Amino acid sequence: MAKCVVSQEDTLDLDVPVSRVTLSLRRCWEVCKNAVSELCRSKTAILGALMLLVLLGLCLLTPYIARYDPIKQNYREMLQTPSAKHYFGTDRYGRDIWSRILWGGRRLLTISVLAVLVGILVGIPMGTLSGYYGKWIDAFTMRVVDAWLAFPGIVIYLMLATLVREWKLAEFWNDLALIFALGINQFPRLARLVRGTVLAEKEKEYVEACRAIGDSNLYISLREILPNCLSPVIVQATVSLGSTLLVIAALSFLGLGSPPPTPDWGSDLNLARDHMESRPHIAIFPGLAISYAVLAFNLFGDGLRDILDPRLTDR
Amino acid sequence: MVMYTINRILYLIPVLFILTVAAFSLVHCLPGDVIDVLAGQEGVVDPAVRQALEHEYGLNKPLYTQYFIWLNHVLHGDFGTSQVTRRPIALEIFKRIPATLYLAIVGTIISLLIAVPLGTMAAVKRNTAVDYAAQLLSLVGISIPEFWFALLCVLFFSLYLGWLPSSEYYSPFDHLGLSIQHIILPAAALGIRQAAITTRLTRSTMLDEVQKEYVDTARSLGLPEWKVIYQYTLRNAMIPTLTISGLQLAQLLGGTVVIETIFAWPGVGRTLFEAIISRDFPVIQAGVLILGVAVVVINLLVDLMYRVLNPRVRLA
Amino acid sequence: MRQATQGRDLELSRRAFLAATSGMLAGAAAFGLASQAEAGQRHPKRGGTLRFATRADVSGLDLHRNTIYLVSMPLAAINQGLLDLDQKSEPVPGVAAAWEASPDLLRYTFELRHGVLFHNGREVDAEAVRWNFERMQDPKIAQPLARAALENLKATEAVDKYTVRCHLHQPSAAFPADVVYYPCALMAPDSVEQADLHPIGCGPFKFVTWDRNNLTEMVRFENYFETDTEGNSLPYLDAIIGRPKREDGVRLTALRAGEVDLLDSMAYADAAEFPKKYAGKFQTWNVPTVGTSFILFNLEKGPFTDKQVRLAAAHAIDHEAIKQAVFHGTGEIAHGFYASASPWYADGVTAWPAYDPDKAKFLLRQARAVGVDVVLQTLPTPPYMQQTAELVQAMWTEVGFKVRFNIYDEVALQQKRRERDFHADSSAASYRWDPDGWFSRYILSTAPTTKIYSGFQNERADQLIAEARRTADRKKRLELYAAIDSIVNEELPILYLQHLTLLEAGSMRLQGYHPSVSGAFSTRGGGIRTAWME
Repeated sequence: MAKCVVSQEDTLDLDVPVSRVTLSLRRCWEVCKNAVSELCRSKTAILGALMLLVLLGLCLLTPYIARYDPIKQNYREMLQTPSAKHYFGTDRYGRDIWSRILWGGRRLLTISVLAVLVGILVGIPMGTLSGYYGKWIDAFTMRVVDAWLAFPGIVIYLMLATLVREWKLAEFWNDLALIFALGINQFPRLARLVRGTVLAEKEKEYVEACRAIGDSNLYISLREILPNCLSPVIVQATVSLGSTLLVIAALSFLGLGSPPPTPDWGSDLNLARDHMESRPHIAIFPGLAISYAVLAFNLFGDGLRDILDPRLTDR
Repeated sequence: MVMYTINRILYLIPVLFILTVAAFSLVHCLPGDVIDVLAGQEGVVDPAVRQALEHEYGLNKPLYTQYFIWLNHVLHGDFGTSQVTRRPIALEIFKRIPATLYLAIVGTIISLLIAVPLGTMAAVKRNTAVDYAAQLLSLVGISIPEFWFALLCVLFFSLYLGWLPSSEYYSPFDHLGLSIQHIILPAAALGIRQAAITTRLTRSTMLDEVQKEYVDTARSLGLPEWKVIYQYTLRNAMIPTLTISGLQLAQLLGGTVVIETIFAWPGVGRTLFEAIISRDFPVIQAGVLILGVAVVVINLLVDLMYRVLNPRVRLA
Repeated sequence: MRQATQGRDLELSRRAFLAATSGMLAGAAAFGLASQAEAGQRHPKRGGTLRFATRADVSGLDLHRNTIYLVSMPLAAINQGLLDLDQKSEPVPGVAAAWEASPDLLRYTFELRHGVLFHNGREVDAEAVRWNFERMQDPKIAQPLARAALENLKATEAVDKYTVRCHLHQPSAAFPADVVYYPCALMAPDSVEQADLHPIGCGPFKFVTWDRNNLTEMVRFENYFETDTEGNSLPYLDAIIGRPKREDGVRLTALRAGEVDLLDSMAYADAAEFPKKYAGKFQTWNVPTVGTSFILFNLEKGPFTDKQVRLAAAHAIDHEAIKQAVFHGTGEIAHGFYASASPWYADGVTAWPAYDPDKAKFLLRQARAVGVDVVLQTLPTPPYMQQTAELVQAMWTEVGFKVRFNIYDEVALQQKRRERDFHADSSAASYRWDPDGWFSRYILSTAPTTKIYSGFQNERADQLIAEARRTADRKKRLELYAAIDSIVNEELPILYLQHLTLLEAGSMRLQGYHPSVSGAFSTRGGGIRTAWME
């Protein structure tokens, strides 16, 4: 983990009162500068970061660059090929595909990020506690994790998705439930990862030192060990983002995503199957969008891995 | 070794137990039951009839009783009867397993056939154009959604070019030619993605191996380069690769739903999907359990295989 | 009143029996069964295996427990009912050679043909028919459509070996239409133990194997009773291999690649272009009046309890747009339940509200329901239901409704309907051979289906339905049903949208296949029975 390099300027001159806020801001700036310069060490990371920035930009600018309402139908302009009027053409209901992709992307990315966050929030504490305390907690947790991993993944998603659809919920709660379902499925891998790192760190000297001082176990595990385990977690999280996106797309493709006419890359692909031969562009653009987003996350994750794990630097 | 095996098997038991409980409870969380499905459009209006049907299907007993009845049957090898088709589940699911296995195995073989040469080349010619190309290709390969790739394959090879069929399964033991023809597209769709993952893996394990001492020793002994790479290094590097491929195969068994849907493949994934939609509890339970057990068992076997292979193949 | 019958079969030897039946069929030809003449043009060849790709498959093999839909499920080929359907989907003699209704329409007496066998060799006698009808009325066993078809049947009596008498609860002219092979298939009483494993019917084909959603194999039943004009026994085909493929695109690809010989349907998008694009390479049959799609309103809960709101919703719908966008111009817009090609098409039905979005907005404002929440639900398959619902949602949103659209699978949908937890439903119904089958289930206020569907209650409609059922005179019935449909179009428990058609396609090698007006797979003197492969 790139440690925060404290520069000389940070040393307080006791005669000059500097506010705490300024100090922390300056620290953040230093961290960021460091991060960026470290990032530049890996070309894949740069490429990934750039792609992500484009993605982020498109998401933020969607209300301005999406030219049409993504759910408004126009049966006079059905199934048109890409043109100046409709950049990506129109689908079978006359909806503008460019707009649908933009709005769909927003929703998809939000859900994926939140889902991975849920996974992190559940997985990290579990893994830390399991790795640090060992014995009972560890045995039980690892059994649960193993059983979960043995479950045919898609089945869990299918069942949870079917469950979610039954509840007569506003779309917001629907999405929330989906996020929860996806996030819960991420936690086993994360928990395992964290546990492994914690196990390794546990034996190190500074932990002994903390114990000698009399710090409680909880404090040690959360405040001392955990920050050192973050780098593999960050990498895994980025990769998880990519795979979560793919899972959401697959679920919507199977018909278990959000109800129409919400723009959704996966269900748009499903709709496109009827016209694949005559209008292949309807099937190509959503797929390209998914691939682009996942590629961006994977590139970035790879780059991060290159940077954060010194053993692999010369690969 | 024996102790380790026994240890691992003992470890499995609580995992399997949790698996059964999870399979059972998740399934029963689904709203509606099979009586609703069978009643169809008009619904079961008469409560007396509904009671009788519930009694017949054993749905009126408390959940934990149902669970133990089911568990008891399973331990005796009886997976019960499908509530929708009323035929033994053994017929329904076990007949489908070969199709999914066939798909998964051929897919893995295709992926290995692509990944091993590519990964090796990338490792041997590190940091050259070949290496970058391989890395880029594999990165793209893991980013492309499987079903989209499958759709594109169908579009090109089936619809536009008409070279390959896009559905149906023929067992290789029945008509080999037809079987091969029909499996190419689905297995390729499955395998390309696996290939991408395995390429990266092969590359990194090869890089690991190439840096080890024995390689230098072998080279200094005057052995030709190709022998060093292919006879020794590759063999060692294959161990982790194969083990992970084995684990992936296990994961694959449950993840073929989408491919099976696109190619109308009569496999376990699709059966499970349809069972979920029609609330066929016994089939869902049996399917989840079987797949889960398969995954766990394959994991165990792979783990043991790794332990067996590892010390023996190492060169001094 | 005696239905048209051509001779009675008594104890005859097989030869004489065949001669008699071909005489019967020759007589039937005189009534204008076009297929006979056409089949005579090319000389039928015996043999050939037909590979038939369908959209769906049965869920189980028991002929009474499971819905064996007569178009999209291959297993329908083994089914046969008491009466047959002709090319105009009217009930005609089949297993029963003749029937007679009592003047008060409370008793029907069927005289069975001699020598009709089940696939296991057992004879189809009155006792077998009685056993079948009783099993089909058992709510613990039979599927709901079969039970609904025989709802009016009070008791079945086997008068002697070949005579069945049915006693009804209420006088009905519609009863014969209910005892055809869909949904009331006859199965052999002595095969009940293996009903789920190896079904035994008495249709033109016999069951061989079944792999759900993958393969259904059937072979010709050699002792099938029907023969063609020359006295050769039908069917001509040696075997049928059913290949269910749910996705329209997959089915069509299979046909074009030569993997199958016949499709039961294709996507409407493809249907618009297929006949022109593939003329000469594949045959097509446009089968009209398969069914009718409609929007169902919940009259008990929600915004549509107010008739003005229903009118507004109806004015908002552009039927032509739906026809173009969803059905690609195929089929016809529905003004009543039956399409113009159907024998039950009634003239003079009052039209539903015309497309007028401004009026819709106005009505909505008047009803003080602008921005009201509407929950629209539908099944995900067949695709046109969902697509129609999406269009409807857009149209309603334009005039000021706030529509939430939910797709539910079969189970969940039924639950929602029973709990009355929806406002509108995009749905369809088909294959009601007799109008009573539709109106007395979906419009009659006391019908269980109506209660969980629209909850419609209209005294006049109920009266008309009961009267139409009791009337034997065809013309009078048509008038009555026209009046009922007019009420439906005025009160709007249901808004008819579109008459569906199916485009069936097959290889050029398939000859003699003439699906009837209502798409029946297996009709007397037509359909799969007279088909052969070159």
